[in-house]
Order: sequence, then C-alpha cells, then structure tokens
Amino acid sequence: MQEKNVRIEVEHVYKDFNIYFDKANSLKEKILFWNRNKKEKREVLKDINLQIRDGEAVALIGVNGSGKSTLLKLMTKIIYPDKGKIETYGKLTSLLELGAGFHPDFSGRENIYFNASIFGLTKKQIDERLQDIIDFSELGSYIDNPVRTYSSGMYMRLAFAVAINVDADILLVDEILAVGDQHFQDKCINKMKELKKEGKTMVFVTHSMNTVKEFCTRAVWLDKGIVRMDGEPNEVIEEYLKETL
Amino acid sequence: MNIVKNLYKYRELLKTNTKKDVGGKYKNSFLGILWSFINPLLQIAVYALVFQVILKSNIENYAVYLCCALIPWQYFNSIVIRGAGVIIDNGNIIKKVYFPREILPISVVTSEAINFLISTIIIVIFVLVSGLGININWLWYFLIFAIQYIVSIGIALIFSSLTVYFRDLLHLLGVFMQLLFYATPIVYSISDVPASISWLLKLNPMTYLIDGYRSIFYNATMPNFEGLLIVFIMGIVLCVIGYLLFNKLQKRFAEEL
Repeated sequence: MQEKNVRIEVEHVYKDFNIYFDKANSLKEKILFWNRNKKEKREVLKDINLQIRDGEAVALIGVNGSGKSTLLKLMTKIIYPDKGKIETYGKLTSLLELGAGFHPDFSGRENIYFNASIFGLTKKQIDERLQDIIDFSELGSYIDNPVRTYSSGMYMRLAFAVAINVDADILLVDEILAVGDQHFQDKCINKMKELKKEGKTMVFVTHSMNTVKEFCTRAVWLDKGIVRMDGEPNEVIEEYLKETL
Repeated sequence: MNIVKNLYKYRELLKTNTKKDVGGKYKNSFLGILWSFINPLLQIAVYALVFQVILKSNIENYAVYLCCALIPWQYFNSIVIRGAGVIIDNGNIIKKVYFPREILPISVVTSEAINFLISTIIIVIFVLVSGLGININWLWYFLIFAIQYIVSIGIALIFSSLTVYFRDLLHLLGVFMQLLFYATPIVYSISDVPASISWLLKLNPMTYLIDGYRSIFYNATMPNFEGLLIVFIMGIVLCVIGYLLFNKLQKRFAEEL
C-alpha cells in the first residue's frame, strides 16, 4: 500500500552479485570445465531501508563500489532484489548511462519517438512534446542526422532532453551531468529546480558535492552496501569528506 | 492479466519496434523489400527442381503444393531463429532502461507476421497462375493465421528467455530447424508417411498449420477443424508455459547479458 506522499519505498533490500572468475558460457565449456565455474558471492546491498517522498531531491553519495548505482538500477526495475521489496509509485524515467535506448542508425528525431515510447508515451503525447524536446536539446538541424554521428555531448543532450520532458513523477539520474558544457549543465540544473518546485521526486548518484549542496534536499551516504548516514546534505557531506579525505 | 495491461500501456513502443523491424530488415540492401519475394521464390525453385525433376514426385502442381507450405514455414523458422536472439541482441537497451521485456519477442513475432502477410501474395500468384482460381475457403486463411500467431508468441517467449542462460541454444536451434524442416510435411504429404512414425509428425504444430494452408489454397476445401483445434490448444499451452518461464527468467536478464 502506498503511504501518503511516498514515491519510492525500499524495504529491507538485499542484493548479491555473482562474480565469475572465468565464466563458462557455452554447454561445451560447462561440461569440459565444470570446475572452472568458480564464483564468488558479493553482497552489494545489505538491508537497505529508504522512503522517498514527493518533492524530495535525494543524492546518493559514496565511494566507488559502495552500491549507489545498483540501488538506482533496483529502483528502475532493471534488476530485482534478492530479498526485500522495492515499490515505486507513479511514472518513472531514468538516465542510467549515456544514450540509453538510442538506436544508432535512426535520426535524432526518430530516436525521440523510440526513447519516449520506451518510457510509455503514446504517439500523440510525443507529438505534443516533440518541439520542446528538440528546443531543449539545442541540436538544431542535427536532429535529423543519425545518432551515431553525434558527439558524446550531443548524445547526452538528447537523452536528457527526452527524459526531462516526459512528465514523469520520478526522475532517476546516474552521474550524467559530468558530460556536457557548462552552459548545458546550468540549463539542466535550472530545469531540475523547476521540476523540484513542481513537486517531482528526484534521485541522483553523483560525486559532485557542489551539486548536492546546491540542489538536493537530502543526502544518503552508502558505504559498503549499507546506509551509513541519511539526512541534511551539508551534514552528511561533512562527515563523508572527513572519512574519505 | 498484467501482461495485457502492460502491452496496452506500451503499445507505442510495440508499434515503433515492429516498424523498425519490418522496415529495417532490408534497409541497406539494393533490392530492398523485393528480397521478401526473391528469397522464397528461389527456395521454391530449388526444392521443385530436386523433388519434382530429380526425385520425380508424383504430386500434381508441385510448385503450388510446395509454395503453400514453404511460405508459412519460413515465417515459423524466422520466429524461432530471430526470437531466440532477440533478448541478446537488445542487451544494450535492456541494461539501461526499464520497459516490459516481453515487448521484444512479441514485436519480432508481429513484424514477421506482417512479412508473412506480404509473402502470402506469392501463394496467391502461384495459385492463380496454375489455374486453380479463387475460392471462398481462402477466408479461412485469417483463422489459420491467427492460430499460427498464437503458437509463435509462445515459442518466441520460450526461446528468447532460454537463450540468455544457454547461449548454445542459438547454434543448436540452427541445426534443429533443418531437421524439423524434413520432419514437417512440406516437401512431401503426410499421407505418404508410414503410420508407425506419423504420430511423431502430429506432435509438431506446423504439421496442422501447413495442412490448413494447403487445404484452402491447394485443395480448395475447408481446413481440417479438428487439426486446427489441436494446434490452437498447443498454442495456448505454449503461451502459458512461455509466459511463466519468461516472467521468471527476465528478472536476471540485465545481470546475465
């Protein structure tokens, strides 16, 4: 059941990854090298509990390998937890890595349709938003070129322009603002501030502490798969920096 | 019933994906969509040469006889082969963004079904050229087509999810489909098969479907409804198994790819 205002509910979530040292992929290898299939279980997340509400902008911080991206992937339902439960309420979009869901041979315009339909929009809804998306991406006449000819910055602009214009209730972003020039970064931050005002929920994975301080209402520090600290961004960052520096 | 709701919600994705498949298949080839016709025509020519001229089959209008079976078989064949690879081929998207994964096998089946509809023109041309003429029983085509679609969905769901875990299936299926081609009454008639092994052929859903297409186009009679009912039930069972299997296996797709 959805509690009032709650958008993302994470309850006692555990996630293990199997690390194969030398994975036997085919049947032949499985039979011939049955003993080669050594694997090691690595606990990536241990008993995570979080409740994220309407209008919150949450930053997930922590050193590399602390489970931030895994938690974000669990929220998008790309992977599933081994134990525990994750529920999201409302429409969700995610920007996990650059160019998620783009088809390289299609033009930028065709990819807008393709990408937006992945987020569950109908043709009519995409038609209405098409101009906004193209304007936001500032791609101009490049929009009709195949996406494989784009630079990584252009790729990112298009991906971000789509994700931000699909009217989602929840936006999940993984380390994406690292790309793009200053002008576009500022523009994205402004747009996200607008969305925050509208009461949308956002979760970021980031290493840029300035962005966290400037923009987020809450910071969650993950350390070796557990929530080390959860609270007001300035306090969490202070503790985090004290430990890691 | 979750699957129906999901499919409706993501209908636009299903549509773009299917369109991409149908149009994109021959995108960079010189003859384009014409390959949809040239391919089966060449195959019919080869089989007709081997079985009619060299092996002297006594079936009348052998080219038409062959054509009614070969075109549906090609549809079935591409479902199995392309369906088996569809999740692996789209690994990039699956690892990055959520959408109902069953969209992928279903859009393969749908785009191949559209290709099959287009190729059916070949059957019609063969029938007309050989002087068999149009008859009212052709209307049953749509019923048989619908049943084959259901069977195909089930098969695509099963193989698309299994190959993610057992990559050998991709290669095994290539060989298996060649064997199955001869274990299906395509180049011969089921009535020529000794009773001792014909039960084996009756386990194969394509046996009934091809018999149906042949009845309406080649014999100009009504299809065998008992056979169609059997294959319809097979289709439903395959869909249920496919759905349960796919649902279970899809949870770890992003990790296995």
